[in-house]
Amino acid sequence: MEVVTTVQKAAPPATRGGAPTEGRRRGSASRALWIGAFLAPAILLVIVLLAVPFLTTAYRSFFDDNGLSQKWVGLANYAALVSDPDFGRSLLNTVMWVAGTLLLPVLLGLVLAVLTNSVRWGSVARTAVVIPYALSGSATALLWQFLLQSDGAINQTLTAVGLGSWQQEWLLHWPLNTIVMIIATTWQATGASMILFLIGLQTIPNEIVEAAKLDGASGLRMFWSVVIPQLRPMTVVVVGMAIVNSLKTFDIVWLLTQGGPGTASETLALTMYRETFTLNRYGYGAAVSVVLTIVVVAASWLYLRRQARSR
Amino acid sequence: MAGRIVRNVLVVFFSLVWLVPTWLVVVNAFTPTSQYTGSPRWWFASADIFSNIKAAFTTAAVGRGLLNSFLYATVGAAVAVLIAALASFAVTVMPVRRPGIWFWVIFIGTVLPLQTFLSPLFTGFARTGLYDTQYGMMLVYVALAIPFAFFVNRNFMLTVPREIAEAAQLDGANWLRMFFRVHLPLAKSALLAAFIFQFTWIWNDLLFGITLSLSPNIRPVMATLADLNGSYSTVGPPVVLAGALVASLPTVILFFVFQRFFVSSLRLTS
Repeated sequence: MEVVTTVQKAAPPATRGGAPTEGRRRGSASRALWIGAFLAPAILLVIVLLAVPFLTTAYRSFFDDNGLSQKWVGLANYAALVSDPDFGRSLLNTVMWVAGTLLLPVLLGLVLAVLTNSVRWGSVARTAVVIPYALSGSATALLWQFLLQSDGAINQTLTAVGLGSWQQEWLLHWPLNTIVMIIATTWQATGASMILFLIGLQTIPNEIVEAAKLDGASGLRMFWSVVIPQLRPMTVVVVGMAIVNSLKTFDIVWLLTQGGPGTASETLALTMYRETFTLNRYGYGAAVSVVLTIVVVAASWLYLRRQARSR
Repeated sequence: MAGRIVRNVLVVFFSLVWLVPTWLVVVNAFTPTSQYTGSPRWWFASADIFSNIKAAFTTAAVGRGLLNSFLYATVGAAVAVLIAALASFAVTVMPVRRPGIWFWVIFIGTVLPLQTFLSPLFTGFARTGLYDTQYGMMLVYVALAIPFAFFVNRNFMLTVPREIAEAAQLDGANWLRMFFRVHLPLAKSALLAAFIFQFTWIWNDLLFGITLSLSPNIRPVMATLADLNGSYSTVGPPVVLAGALVASLPTVILFFVFQRFFVSSLRLTS
């Protein structure tokens, strides 16, 4: 309401105070004020609550910091990371997450988009795949906990149908726990890449498909030589998003295994969290998140550069 | 012909693979804890999910979490979208020198991994008394939601023809009037898309919820779900499932009502 009244008050003196049509010299000062007023809230909030914390983290990574006392140690935290087997495992898990996310949700999303695009009742199938995408990572974790626990739904069902010997302790052994969590994420996330690929499919010009048909292409041949190349721009987007999101994996692992048993299923995001908030090794945790930042920024670089170029 | 059969079989197969977990979860969320035997049910035991929801509310304050999250997500996303709209108006319509620099200053927030903000925010909040307060939570969600909302709005405002701004200037409109009367109404659908997207993001956040709040009065719903998960073995799976479903309902409804906005905001990143 207040905003509305200020508009009405500010409106009448159209030729004074910051009107864009005003004389040049007095205009530039008030113009700067106006611009400042429009930009300030966003810039201030982002700087105070995001940029400064980020720089603090980067700075902290050069200290041995237990929350009470700080000692400058230079690059010692980073050196310790290199020889820390837990960190190595965490890095490996993160790589598995990236690879798994590229392999499953992205590839399945593509396959499902192509399959359902031409089947008559494809929309039913699409809804089935899209529903989980509306769930949060936390809810997904809780639902899959029910399925994956040692006495959970999957194992019980296996026993019931006489496949008791297939039972596994899904979440208790590496690398199986990471793999099943990637599958749970696939169940949740495939909807997004499927939607994007469907949009991509609809932008393929009909003439191209018709021309290919006249040339006798169909089925797999059509898929490889026409659909895949035409989907390239959308694929860049989907892959870029998948890489960045999988690098930051936290919620589902935190709720399903807490990174355990021990630290076996930790990703970089979890390692950072544990070092900082469980072990109070603020400097070491900061070093982990700086490494994570470098990896994420490097990975999104290509994607963002493409973004900038197309503008 | 054979190709068509294979295709249909595959579609059925994938649909089933996706639906079976969904089905199991829904059915078992409806199962009264007393009737839950340890093995999952495949058909509804009762129509009563409410006693399970009630149990989730009393064990882990999921109900209070829903209210908190509703507050954070509504206010946080609305304020962030307005602030982001102001900033995108500045960099696209106003004669700013080097708009690219300002773009990156704000946009960098979507590039950096959230984990890097976490521990300084925790320390800073503890020092300023913002830790475990609703103001603190709202403040951090507004800040986190600005960069992407800004990105969406800026992309839209770039498509508004220059002539519209020029015409408004000739009519003697000042910046504020131009923003509220011309550009904000034009950007309505972009604003709504950004709002819905950021609402969902805030609603689904776990990381900041568990780090920056502690008491049940303050915790957002995903953090209370984590608490509920902690008592998994005492309350039993049906209660946990019911809690997870209730917490997901708002965003699921939002998603299906505004599906095209989700699609368009996914698309905006392309």
